[in-house]
Amino acid sequence: MKSDVVFSGAVRRYDLKRPGVKVGYGLMTLFCILAAIVALLPILWVIISGFKDLQEFNRGVKNLTDKRYYIQFLPQSFSLEGYLKTWNQFKYVRYYLNSLAVVTGSVVTAVVVNGLFAYGLSRLKPRGWKVVYGLVMATLMVPATTSIVPLFVNITKLGMGGSFIPLWLMMGASAFYVVLFKNFYDAMPTSLLEAGRLDGCNSLQLFFRIVLPLSMPINIVIVIYAVNAAWSDFLLPYLLLGGTKLETVMVRLFTYRTSDRVNNMDIIRAIVFSIIPPILLFIAFQRQITQNVMSAGIKG
Amino acid sequence: MQTSPIPHAGRAKAKWKRDLGSWCVMLPGLLLFAFFIWEPLLEAVRLSVYEAQGTRAIRFVGLDNYRSVIAGPDFWPSVTNTFVYLLWSLLIGFLLPMALAIGIHESVRGKGLYRTAVYLPNIVPGLATVFLWKYLFKSDAYGGLNMLLGAVGIPPQGWLSNAAIVIPMIVVTMTWKGAGSTALLYLAGLQGVSPELYEAAIIDGANVRQRVWNITLPQLYNLARTLFILQVIAVFQVLYEPLVMTNGGPNNASISMMQLVYRYAFDQYDYSRASAVSVIVAIALLTLTFIYNRVNKEKEM
Amino acid sequence: MKKLVSVLLTLCLCLAAFGALAETTLKLGVYPEEVATDAIASHETYIEKYSAQYPDVTVERAHYKYSTDTFVPMAEAGTVPTVFESWFTEPKKLIGGQFIADITDELEARGWLSKMNPSIRTLMSDENGRVYGVPRDAYALGLMLNAELFEDAGLVDENGIPLYPKTWEELAETAKTIKDATGSAGLCLLAKDNAGGWHFSNIAWAFGATLENQDADGKWIANLNSAEAVAAMQYVKDLKWKYDVLTADPTSEDWGTGFTQLGTGAAAMYIAANDAVNMPTQQNGLAVDKLMMCGIPAGPGGQYSLMGGTPYFFAANATPDEINAALDYLVIMGKAPELTDDAIEGLRVDAKNRKENGIPNIVEFPAWSDPELVAKRQEIISEYSNVDARMFQPYFDAVATEGNLRMEEPQNAQEMYAELTKVLQAVVTDENADVQALMDTASANLQQILDEQVNK
Repeated sequence: MKSDVVFSGAVRRYDLKRPGVKVGYGLMTLFCILAAIVALLPILWVIISGFKDLQEFNRGVKNLTDKRYYIQFLPQSFSLEGYLKTWNQFKYVRYYLNSLAVVTGSVVTAVVVNGLFAYGLSRLKPRGWKVVYGLVMATLMVPATTSIVPLFVNITKLGMGGSFIPLWLMMGASAFYVVLFKNFYDAMPTSLLEAGRLDGCNSLQLFFRIVLPLSMPINIVIVIYAVNAAWSDFLLPYLLLGGTKLETVMVRLFTYRTSDRVNNMDIIRAIVFSIIPPILLFIAFQRQITQNVMSAGIKG
Repeated sequence: MQTSPIPHAGRAKAKWKRDLGSWCVMLPGLLLFAFFIWEPLLEAVRLSVYEAQGTRAIRFVGLDNYRSVIAGPDFWPSVTNTFVYLLWSLLIGFLLPMALAIGIHESVRGKGLYRTAVYLPNIVPGLATVFLWKYLFKSDAYGGLNMLLGAVGIPPQGWLSNAAIVIPMIVVTMTWKGAGSTALLYLAGLQGVSPELYEAAIIDGANVRQRVWNITLPQLYNLARTLFILQVIAVFQVLYEPLVMTNGGPNNASISMMQLVYRYAFDQYDYSRASAVSVIVAIALLTLTFIYNRVNKEKEM
Repeated sequence: MKKLVSVLLTLCLCLAAFGALAETTLKLGVYPEEVATDAIASHETYIEKYSAQYPDVTVERAHYKYSTDTFVPMAEAGTVPTVFESWFTEPKKLIGGQFIADITDELEARGWLSKMNPSIRTLMSDENGRVYGVPRDAYALGLMLNAELFEDAGLVDENGIPLYPKTWEELAETAKTIKDATGSAGLCLLAKDNAGGWHFSNIAWAFGATLENQDADGKWIANLNSAEAVAAMQYVKDLKWKYDVLTADPTSEDWGTGFTQLGTGAAAMYIAANDAVNMPTQQNGLAVDKLMMCGIPAGPGGQYSLMGGTPYFFAANATPDEINAALDYLVIMGKAPELTDDAIEGLRVDAKNRKENGIPNIVEFPAWSDPELVAKRQEIISEYSNVDARMFQPYFDAVATEGNLRMEEPQNAQEMYAELTKVLQAVVTDENADVQALMDTASANLQQILDEQVNK
């Protein structure tokens, strides 16, 4: 029966005949709808606000007869002028391309390096792995805020300032991703790896030929997280790329706080510019992403 | 192992060789962790027992920095607040994703829509999120939330200027961003429940409440345990939300421990004291995690 | 492997040798940000002149906007530009951390030291009198007014000039009138970050307070809970609860939002300095002819204006050659006490740029006590005047009064502002806040910091 396919949870169609369950189910649906609205409304609000001019946004619209200001939820016009001004003035095309470069490189290291590391900790387990794993876990607990200074000093000493390379490499050292990968690999059937060994694969070949392709669900989770993280990061990117032609979208937003030439509206529009691409990307791959995240759930 | 044909010495040698190979596989990760995470972290921790000029240690001072930060006027408010953040984020931030996951899972229509909608805030960059919510919470009639209230005739509220609700409001911001992705993880767990389990319960005469209580929730238990401690770790390190939205105010009502780190390091350029607070946060987290794991283990036994 | 190492070594040596031969490089942190195309045009003319005059200096356009979360990493890594603009709050900690260069000798050689306004010079020196900065200009706090709101509220004289408040009491009344007539806040008070305490210290002075004292033994005493300081804080509390003339939430207002509120007509008055007239206008859309400035109102303790200076600093690792190259550039910008043709031209370019971009052209505050220079600047400004002088006269009259200018409190000013800001936050969010008790706590906290860091 079709109904039983969709009603696959605790509540079944015939339960709804009971008034108590029916009300409860109704409330639950309401809750889901509300949650969706709460999630979307702020995003919608910021996009709409971007059409306003500064005075409209900050103070409302002045009524010329009584000289008072009135609130309007919608902008007086939906002309793209404001957005275009911010877009052109701040040369967003370039920032997008730079962000894209940072994200692409970061995603590759995030999956390959953390994956290899976790594979070692989960499957190869050479003597001493527990110490290293402990260190990785401890990394999660120690706030990294102040270590930005020694880190940037080290990077500069190696002459890697003003390039994307440190940002790409840094994504290969994420304790969180290592833990997620390790959880997944731990649950992988040993027989598959044994088969690979018998075929004469060494550890490295095993990883690239068997482990990685069989881990698509977790790979996609990490890709999403890494895209998010790389796209959102600003402090180290600023230090490395600030003032060069390589600035990213978030570096731009970060410098807006102190800029002399930016007002609230530019910030609002910059927020919109910084969220549109990830949202489009997410909607485009929505099906693959949610399905894979779902099947990769941590079996904690 | 005892039946292995390789003689003892050779076996040890082979193991050595294999270990070496394994470490080589892990080498890129190790190097990157060492360079990007561990070495800078160690330097920061070392600084906490030194007097420093910038980040150049000049004199060993033992625990002086620790004493000084604990005696500082904002230390205890920040500790108390951190626990208030924790409380609220467990109340709002921990339960909500679970409820969302169950709700979406039980929904017949609109599953995909709900899923997409609640996950979208998660991809809004953190910096954009705090800027955005700062404008939403703006306390005159032109703030986003007050506009909504105004539409139904309620006067504007000072969302972030009321010491009693400022932390819950910041937690709302964090939850808005984070709940969707956590809900997806829970949903994944629920996906793993075979519908037959519910059917069996139905045959046994279990009502809806009993089915949820006995089948749905236990399925989430393991995952919830992991996410719980990850959330505690995250809440202890809350920084940018109060920093941008309230700067810790009003009158320290929302200052977090990491904000103290930030103030020492980035406002006063006092990296020794900043590191001392970081280490205190780390010790607190290590202790909490340790206790938490202990309690969990005992429960299992 | 060995071969590789030796090749690398040779390469390094070559580079080092090349570096030694190479000309001086001037990393120009004062170069404007990319979007400020008008200011960039000005600087391009400066650079053109500079390169003609100093052909062996390579100018690198290295815009750096000082900010506290980026500076230390850059300073420790040695990537700070040769010369950059900073804030008046920073000298002490930058000097203490050895993040910036001692330029006393270079200034001495040029004869600039004696020309520096003595108060400003103190501000940029360490305890041994070594100087680390060159002032871009000096500033003094005043009161900025949105003239449009004064007009809407009918608060203008027969010439249409706003009737500005002369005392704090008048300010409260004026603010009330404006709020009642227009619905806009009368005053934008800051209470989000240290800028709140900074502004408040100026109010406290008017009420007769001195916030830090030195006792007979030279020990510094926090004095935030004197009757005068408490009266000043009570006055602020009244602005919120008795008069209700502040913006909706002072705890969300910082230096920048204050200008947005003033510029967009959400607030009629705002404490701000003469060097920030671009903020309400160019930045936040207030018409140039609708901005007025008057002095900080007087109180029972007198009338004072907090004075300071915006400094140029030099990277700690800059060589004397590089520092001199940077100082030469400041001459061309017209920011130095040297009245060369280039400097005059530089001032002209700047004044013209301000006029074209809707920034009020008003006289800068002399950071150099060189009468000839001051007169020349005055002349150039009036040449490119774009404001009605009457709109700024009250401000200049106030700060020209003997004894009006006052430097900020000498010890740990930022920590003091932080403590005061917490009290401000409490009194504007809690109608029942106990002002005396809060100021007692603030004073005790400041004392603890003074004892730990100054009185040791």
